[in-house]
Amino acid sequence: MSSDDSNETTDLPKHGLAGPRPEERPHPEGRRNSQGIRIDPEVEAEHDPRRAVISALVENEPGVLSRVAGLVSRRQFNIESLTVGPTTVDGHARITMVVEEPDPGIDQIEKQMAKLKPVISVGELDDDAVRAELVLLKVEGDEPDKVHAITEMYEGKTLDAGPRTITVQLTGDERKIDDAIDAFRQFGIIEIARTGQTALARGDQATVPGEKPGTAGEPTTPTNYDD
Amino acid sequence: MSEPAPPKKDADEPADEATEQTPVTTGASSVVRALENAGVEAAFGVQGGAIMPVYDALWHSDIHHVTMAHEQGAAHAADAFGVVRNEPGVCLATSGPGATNLVTGIADANMDSDGVLALTGQVPSEMVGSDAFQETDTIGVTTPITKHNYFAAEADSVGDTVGEAFALAGEGRPGPTLVDLPKDVTMDETDRQPGPAKTPKTTTPKTTPDKAAVADAARAIEAAERPLLLLGGGVIKADATDEARAFAREFGIPVVTTMPGIGSFPEDDDLCLSWAGMHGTGYANMAITHTDLLVAVGTRFDDRLTGGVDSFAPEAEVVHVDIDPAEISKNVHADYPVVGDAATTLDRLADEVATEPDAGEWREQCLTWKDEYPMDYATPEDEPLKPQFVVECLDEATSDRAVVTSGVGQHQMWAAQYWTFTEPRTWVSSHGLGTMGYGLPAAIGARLAAEDDQEVVCVDGDGSFLMTIQELSVAVREELDITVAVLNNEYIGMVRQWQDAFFEGRHMAAEYNWCPEFDKLAEAFGARGWRVDDYDEVADAIEEALAYDGPSVIDFHIDPRENVYPMVASGGANGKFALTEDQL
Repeated sequence: MSSDDSNETTDLPKHGLAGPRPEERPHPEGRRNSQGIRIDPEVEAEHDPRRAVISALVENEPGVLSRVAGLVSRRQFNIESLTVGPTTVDGHARITMVVEEPDPGIDQIEKQMAKLKPVISVGELDDDAVRAELVLLKVEGDEPDKVHAITEMYEGKTLDAGPRTITVQLTGDERKIDDAIDAFRQFGIIEIARTGQTALARGDQATVPGEKPGTAGEPTTPTNYDD
Repeated sequence: MSEPAPPKKDADEPADEATEQTPVTTGASSVVRALENAGVEAAFGVQGGAIMPVYDALWHSDIHHVTMAHEQGAAHAADAFGVVRNEPGVCLATSGPGATNLVTGIADANMDSDGVLALTGQVPSEMVGSDAFQETDTIGVTTPITKHNYFAAEADSVGDTVGEAFALAGEGRPGPTLVDLPKDVTMDETDRQPGPAKTPKTTTPKTTPDKAAVADAARAIEAAERPLLLLGGGVIKADATDEARAFAREFGIPVVTTMPGIGSFPEDDDLCLSWAGMHGTGYANMAITHTDLLVAVGTRFDDRLTGGVDSFAPEAEVVHVDIDPAEISKNVHADYPVVGDAATTLDRLADEVATEPDAGEWREQCLTWKDEYPMDYATPEDEPLKPQFVVECLDEATSDRAVVTSGVGQHQMWAAQYWTFTEPRTWVSSHGLGTMGYGLPAAIGARLAAEDDQEVVCVDGDGSFLMTIQELSVAVREELDITVAVLNNEYIGMVRQWQDAFFEGRHMAAEYNWCPEFDKLAEAFGARGWRVDDYDEVADAIEEALAYDGPSVIDFHIDPRENVYPMVASGGANGKFALTEDQL
């Protein structure tokens, strides 16, 4: 490509290369958005951030939680809550995670999670999934009767009542818990512990593949991950 | 006093004894046996307290262990060995600093999807968590940069774990894996033979593409007017270069590659436009800007390839073939996603495409761009030596199958631009992580992996060479026939280029005129050294260095003002590549 003979290369710049300058070249009009999707700039849709519930079946080995949590935060997704516990299959656990989706990219998190060796299956739950969380509230004990009434109203339970503090337990979906916490503020909330949401798919649909239905309470050996 | 150590087995011993496998008596011997079962021929590492039992078990093994000067060199050498052989390379290090020194090399392998198995010593199980001497949470440190890592729990199963880690490193989309080996696990007695290596059930890749996805992609290819094949490193890793070449030629589709994809398609073929991206050829970047159907195989659409995503291939529908579903639509939306092995998918696609796309005009256009944006450069004889000329001379003096390794920076770009690659696994470089210092240890790994008739040339920069120069001692000790060509501009040149373009020429910390004289330093290591300043010395020095049967270093003092062009500004449009500095 080159020439040793400087006479032949006099039309070349001393440094750099020859050719039409950028402004002399044709440039296409089209554009892509930040997800790499080709767009018509005039009709580009605004995307509202949303929250998604991710459920994963994992092999319950040491470090699995930190692998999952580390992966999600490394990819710049914000974890709002995370719960984990055993399933009907011996040695398996279910992780339920609520994440905030900054861009439409929840499927990217699912696909990255699916690559982790201990992850058996992973999926996003539909909007109609059954969801619940549990909260413990420690409030000032000055008005025990009123605290009791509010606890009843939200179908909660009093776990501890002393001369200075009362601790109650409430369960339900996220909205109910938020409302209840608002209602208890009048007494003076000292401490809150929330578990975060856990969830299962509604009806006979599997939440994610991998856990055999109808075996609750009887641990089974992990067998075939394909079904 | 203990008895004198038995002699290390060497080449003088009869061959039948030399092929015996390591008997399993301890966790450590089970580790070595698992490596032997996997067919491992060479391993690279550095001794140290917590890994000593494994080294002791290597005493009787036929595995060729190469002691490196630094663990980073061990990881890079293993990486390059694996790239050239297309199988995982193996490296070893002790706990703590040994393991953390491997980290750069593991991260490098992870970014480039190179199969590497790292074995690290660890403090005894009962001391883990106590901040013991040379303890580091190696699992914690390496989790984000490995496909998977394993903390070995017991001597009985450690061989199986190592076998699984090796198999996983090479399965599907390759990548690094690590096994952390507490010293008690490797010291404990066991006679349990490691079973046949199995990959985990949860990681099995989907190699056969969906029929419908292939059919959809085929219809798009038939209808395209300006189709372009983009071949990434995955094509080489999947051993799919024959299929890719056949596909492009059968349907008359022009080809660009990514940098890791260099060698997947012969660069001297009329259909080939070389590689695209930040410093890719003008014609490759014109093609990628104007194609109406980009058929991308085994690439992750790195930002150095795409430039700003908003202006990347803006007219193109995208067919994306990859074995890793997570790469589909990660950076660039795939209109036709196809998950599968590259070779299988290209075969199926070739069967499914019924008619060649009507792309005659487009092929002509691509050839016109080759004429319009030539890679020719000026070589004024009254000015310092041009690095491009040195690369072309090296290419000319070596065979088509010569293996080229590089560090990272300007010299890497010139090597990639001006060497005409025609064969897969002959370009061995650090792409995704951009690790300066990769070149020399990579040349050591490549030399041990390559065949005898393949020359191994490391095109290095002054800054990169200095970062791992201690590995020259290894090349001397092992009598490795490698040639290091340093393109020495006395700058950390790519930084200087950016300072000139974007920081008003303030060369903060970029001058490297304090480097040692590399030709003399080479001689001090026991290698041969040359210094070249002028055009008329280039050919002779290269001839002598290549003829020397051992490590040689040529210190080419090149034009310090030379910069790399074409250049797409970071985040800019590929089609607006600059050909000279004033165009940036």
